[in-house]
Amino acid sequence: MEPALWAGDWIVVAGYSRPPRVGEIVLVRDPRNPENLMLKRVAAVADGACTVLGDRPEESTDSRTFGPVPLGNVVGRALFRYAPIGRIGWLW
Amino acid sequence: MFLTRLLKPTITASAHCDLPCGVYDPEQARIEAESCYKIIEKYKASNDEQFKTRAILIKEERAELAKHHIDVLWSDYFKPEHVQKYPEITELCWKAAKQCSKVKSSLELSDAKTLLEMIDKIAEVWTKAGGPQATRVQNGVAARA
Repeated sequence: MEPALWAGDWIVVAGYSRPPRVGEIVLVRDPRNPENLMLKRVAAVADGACTVLGDRPEESTDSRTFGPVPLGNVVGRALFRYAPIGRIGWLW
Repeated sequence: MFLTRLLKPTITASAHCDLPCGVYDPEQARIEAESCYKIIEKYKASNDEQFKTRAILIKEERAELAKHHIDVLWSDYFKPEHVQKYPEITELCWKAAKQCSKVKSSLELSDAKTLLEMIDKIAEVWTKAGGPQATRVQNGVAARA
């Protein structure tokens, strides 16, 4: 998910009270293995599922591999990065 | 330091990526498992302590590789629709990965043989699920068959 997110970033994720929108970074459970939590960007939302893609398509494992993610697997939206200090900021 | 500990996230999510080349074949795990089988055979036939020590080390390494290849098949190749159609694949992969751990610590040929049989069962599902056509570069498969 570089450059939006780097390994080791500390972020705040909040649950949704509405369906995710295109462009938002979401925390989703991997449909192949629900224990695996992933951060991806929403590319489309339709029929109770959202298509999520990594920001680096050439290296990302995302909906192109595992298909659209049911909205029930969407844990929340990545809102804010609070560490490292130099990169503190909103994630939209 | 206390503050850092307080603020440290409790849940880790991955945003990293792997390169999905899309080539998946249980044969990769089978070759490593065959290595384990042959190594145990050679171990038993040898009186050379140094050779036997090396054999054990290399067998553990090969068993770990077999486990890795099974894990990759399970987590990257098999999709929810495969699991729906062939529900046995979950248990097959899980048990085969566990058998790899067994082979790591065992010097019994029967354990290595069990692993080979388990991988063959995974391969049957992989074939039924269209693996050869979906994942391999066609000449490669033809050359083997």
